[in-house]
Amino acid sequence: MRYYIYDGSFQGLLTAIYESYYRSAKPEDILPRHRFTGNLFAQVEEIDTDEIKADKVFQAIKNKISPTALRRVFYAFLSEITGVELLIYRYLQLGWKVGRDIDRHLTDHRVAMIHKISQKVGLEKHRLLGLIRFRKLKGEIYYAPIEPDYNIVSLVAPHFARRLSDQNWVIHDRKRDVAVLYNQKEWVMTVLDPGRDYVLAEEEKYCQQMWKNYFRSASVPGRTNLKLQRQFMPTRYWRYLIEKQ
Amino acid sequence: MDLAEKLKILSAAAKYDVSCSSSGSNRQNIPGGVGNAAYSGICHSWTDDGRCVSLLKILFTNDCCYNCAYCVNRITSDIPRASFTPEEVIELTISFYRRNYIEGLFLSSAIYRSEDYTMEQLLRTVKKLRGEYKFNGYIHLKAIPGADLKLISEAGKYVDRMSVNIELPSDRGLKLLAPRKKKEIILKSMGGITSYIDQYKEERKLFKHAPSFVPAGQSTQLIVGATPDCDLRIIKLSESLYRSFNLKRVYYSAYVPVSDDPKLPSITNPPLVRENRLYQADWLLRFYGFSAGELLSENNPNLDLELDPKASWALRNLHLFPIEINKADYRMLLRVPGIGVKSAKRIAAARRVGSLGYEDLKKIGVVLKRARYFITCRGKYYGETAFRPDFLRQKLLDKVPADSGGEQLTMFT
Ligand code: SF4
Repeated sequence: MRYYIYDGSFQGLLTAIYESYYRSAKPEDILPRHRFTGNLFAQVEEIDTDEIKADKVFQAIKNKISPTALRRVFYAFLSEITGVELLIYRYLQLGWKVGRDIDRHLTDHRVAMIHKISQKVGLEKHRLLGLIRFRKLKGEIYYAPIEPDYNIVSLVAPHFARRLSDQNWVIHDRKRDVAVLYNQKEWVMTVLDPGRDYVLAEEEKYCQQMWKNYFRSASVPGRTNLKLQRQFMPTRYWRYLIEKQ
Repeated sequence: MDLAEKLKILSAAAKYDVSCSSSGSNRQNIPGGVGNAAYSGICHSWTDDGRCVSLLKILFTNDCCYNCAYCVNRITSDIPRASFTPEEVIELTISFYRRNYIEGLFLSSAIYRSEDYTMEQLLRTVKKLRGEYKFNGYIHLKAIPGADLKLISEAGKYVDRMSVNIELPSDRGLKLLAPRKKKEIILKSMGGITSYIDQYKEERKLFKHAPSFVPAGQSTQLIVGATPDCDLRIIKLSESLYRSFNLKRVYYSAYVPVSDDPKLPSITNPPLVRENRLYQADWLLRFYGFSAGELLSENNPNLDLELDPKASWALRNLHLFPIEINKADYRMLLRVPGIGVKSAKRIAAARRVGSLGYEDLKKIGVVLKRARYFITCRGKYYGETAFRPDFLRQKLLDKVPADSGGEQLTMFT
């Protein structure tokens, strides 16, 4: 079995795809280094991430297939689902053949799967645009912890950079210990120390209490429907929701 | 009275207004400002009744000088009264917004002193919020029916959506339950907003930087079940509101008993299933190309509570079915029970690169539970039942347990 092993970044994956066209040894699986455990029969092709090669593939997907296909591939990649790399590789093989028509080939397994996965990632991103809750800390910083299923913190950042452009904020993915920091000018991705303490601003508790009261009184008695509530807002997201504490 | 206490009183009174959407506006943030609008809208939470929380929904005051029978704020109602100042509304909106609790503000009001006085307060609030505080999030403002159109149109420059609630579907209902609200006054205010919207749209065509006016359009709300009005009357009214006033949305609110006025029907549970059927019918008007006359008639004036309106229409028009999935035009695909806009689009896209069999439909994510009775794939029928209205009806019935009085159904599952 021949494995392409890359560094886990999107650029790394695109480099791997580039290499698959120039190396005689084609991949039977593509894995990020941290997931590769090795086995007796493994033949390993190490992939060194290369910006120029990655960019060539990036442009090719965008221009020869479609910008939508590129977005789908990126979203699918962020799902971090086991095996998604190989699926992307195969989806693109079809893409090079049929070009922009790819999204009509809905009965093709590869297309159907990429659609399904990228939709799930897109759904979670959209959900979190609403469900992220900032807490105001001492020192005028707004801090939001999240634990998303998929690695979507970079997808939500531009939205908040536009919307909350005149405040300092942090969105912290506590599952992956990555965070987006914004300083009223630009946002950057960074690794954040999980053990840090956060001290709330003085008015924070009062504001949270008002929101909780508001939330409780907004429900109409006689119409209670907890099943519907959970369907829209699955309980795994409740941990950081102020109104659900 | 402190702010938290006021919020408690003035949000409790506002929750019966069911419009919650924050969509339809593209408002951008400005340098040094806070907020923008998301065109498709964003829900921020869901309450225990399963409804989306998107906007901070409050009344400016609940101190009303009128006495509409169906309303908690009526003058004879024994409830605590409170009023905000514009600054308080602004403070709440911005501190909730900065924490991403909300998408913006929904500001409504009872009528304190007079229509004009109340409208002036609302105007002051939104003007200050936009101007002084540079808030660019979504604002939905309730216009006070009967207030000076000048005040209403001035406020329209600052908000994303405006609404005037009709509340009761017929004039007779209004006369009985809200004698001081006249249909003509409500319609005059609505018509005024519509013509301003049109006028500003024209101007924007000519001058790119002309100011916007209620970019997300106008909406209204109808209460269902407080009067004996039938669904035909309600859906006809909605249809004409969409057509002649160009409304973006009509909301339906199942009447929740708030008083024991003998003029009101005594019910234990709000008519939620009926409300849901009306939403489904409304949806068919707006996105599926149906007309009110196709869904209901004088002989058939109420929506079937056991069956969604598209399915009942199909059963009354079985001669049009089954349709061949590879040939039927898009309009007809949309009319198949169980096929929504998404599925219809997928079918239309997929069949351009190859003919579709029954299994292919499953693969592309079309749910066939209901649709299979109304389609053929490459000429073959998969319904496995006699093609007769009574047989099909049995297959299509929504399985709602008989005792679930308050059960709310989801849209077209
Ligand atoms: S005018 Fe409005 S707030 Fe006042 S009683 Fe009538 S419906 Fe209620």
